[in-house]
Amino acid sequence: MVQESKKTIIAFFLICLGLTLFPFLIGGYWLRVATGIMMFATITLALNFIAGFAGYAAFGNVVFMGIGAYTTAILMVKAGIPWWIGIVAGGLLSSLYAVLLGLPILRLRGHYFAIATLGVNEATKQFTLIYRDLTEGGMGITLPLTSLSISAFNNLVYFIMFAILLACFLTSYVVSKNRVGYALRAIRANEDAAQMSGIRTTYYKVLAWALSAFFTGLVGGLYAYWFTFIEPANVFDIMIAVKAFVMMLLGGGGTVLGPVLGAAVLELISELVWGEFLRVHMLIFGAIIVLVILFLPSGMMELFRKRYSLSALLSNLKERSI
Amino acid sequence: MLLIQGKKLSKHFGGLPAVDQVDFGVERGEILGLIGPNGAGKTTLVNVITGVFPATSGQVFFKGEDITNLSPPKAVKLGIARTFQIVQPFPGMTVRENVAIGALFGKGSHEKDIKTAFQDAERWLEFVNLGQYKNAEVNEINISHRKRMDLAKTLAMEPELLMLDEVMAGLNTKDIEEMMALVQQINRELDKTLLVIEHVMKALMGISHRVMVLHHGQKIAEEIPEKIVQDENVIKAYLGERYAKQRAKTA
Repeated sequence: MVQESKKTIIAFFLICLGLTLFPFLIGGYWLRVATGIMMFATITLALNFIAGFAGYAAFGNVVFMGIGAYTTAILMVKAGIPWWIGIVAGGLLSSLYAVLLGLPILRLRGHYFAIATLGVNEATKQFTLIYRDLTEGGMGITLPLTSLSISAFNNLVYFIMFAILLACFLTSYVVSKNRVGYALRAIRANEDAAQMSGIRTTYYKVLAWALSAFFTGLVGGLYAYWFTFIEPANVFDIMIAVKAFVMMLLGGGGTVLGPVLGAAVLELISELVWGEFLRVHMLIFGAIIVLVILFLPSGMMELFRKRYSLSALLSNLKERSI
Repeated sequence: MLLIQGKKLSKHFGGLPAVDQVDFGVERGEILGLIGPNGAGKTTLVNVITGVFPATSGQVFFKGEDITNLSPPKAVKLGIARTFQIVQPFPGMTVRENVAIGALFGKGSHEKDIKTAFQDAERWLEFVNLGQYKNAEVNEINISHRKRMDLAKTLAMEPELLMLDEVMAGLNTKDIEEMMALVQQINRELDKTLLVIEHVMKALMGISHRVMVLHHGQKIAEEIPEKIVQDENVIKAYLGERYAKQRAKTA
């Protein structure tokens, strides 16, 4: 047991070291791909707090990406505040938004909560479209360009994204091992019983959503700084949340490593293969959702845990069809 | 001293009074049996006590303190725990994890770390004689074991008042005897106060100090077990008026 955890820690540090050295070994295109993977890994891990651990399908979670992005953009453009303060402010504001909205809508269960989050995302997007004085509306906001060289800027974005991912990953790990994680798992498994066991369910759900919002907001802020142009249609794009959901399901919801794994696999395949076929892309995406749900309902992490064979995968299918 | 007391407690669903002006009290250290035909309002009464449903009127006191309409987690923190008629486990978790949830979030659990909670869980699993199944998943154990796991979970919550909602339903004779012994052990050795809802009459009469009978949401009797079985109103409620009249004639 001790040997095992020692190995895990060494592996973790080696991976971190590799990722730290990565920009110096490889450049340009692949650095962008790596930053993109980390971005989706963070969004998926963040989604995992509420949708994975607590089992609340927050389809509208992309709203926090939009809030993070707009907070950073507005603070930088209108108030001349440094980018990194803008990003942190985006994360914090997203959390606040999650708490204020979570108190009423996290009392909803199942599909109703999922629908409510979609409504929240749409309403917030409309707000940014209408209040042009603040947000420039549908025109979008162009952020100040960096004075850094292109490669230095790409390296900076990579490292900040890596730092956010690392923070999100470690937070997930801590949560999964402490009472918050157990409370959330109990809520997902059986909310009535959780309440009757002394778990203040609303408190823990709001906490999970606030954590989820914080990291999604940070990513949104960094995204705005990275792409230097945002508009409501792209930072509030529901497809980002859908993609994160598929990544979470593929890797394994409610696990710590699963969302990262799912994001890496899907984003890499997407980058390598489907980039060539824009139309077929969505078709394959849909097929993956169906296949994952049929054969790997608990995600890829299950493959490691249970050493699945082909027959075990088929028995999953049978169970589902009964 | 009354550990828990209800004063004119009512719960209406629309126009239907499921619990109607019920006065009750459970003495500290007592086992109060609660019986009544299906739909008499037994489970509803427990749901109102634990705050699952808000009371329509009336009050609940715990150790003399008004706790009417307190939320379930707050009731737990005060020392009230219950089991469910249909066992409500946490699927996907092991038996030990299920019980540990009780230890982690029950009364006085605030500073309890995960390791201590798991040790507590193992101790309670041994107590209900389920130690060998601690690493099994909930879905892998049978109904009798699930009932005992549920009991271990509520014990891990360290309550003063335990409300057991049909813990013997669906068990065979041997399991019922074991469960009866367990409930008495909980009462005597662990010094817990119990409110026990049960349909298995033999079991209930054997363990209760007093029995309260609900019918159509109203309390129709509250007596020691020996007198309850002779009570005219109770016989009427359970076996119908005709039987009661016949019985009166032959007697």
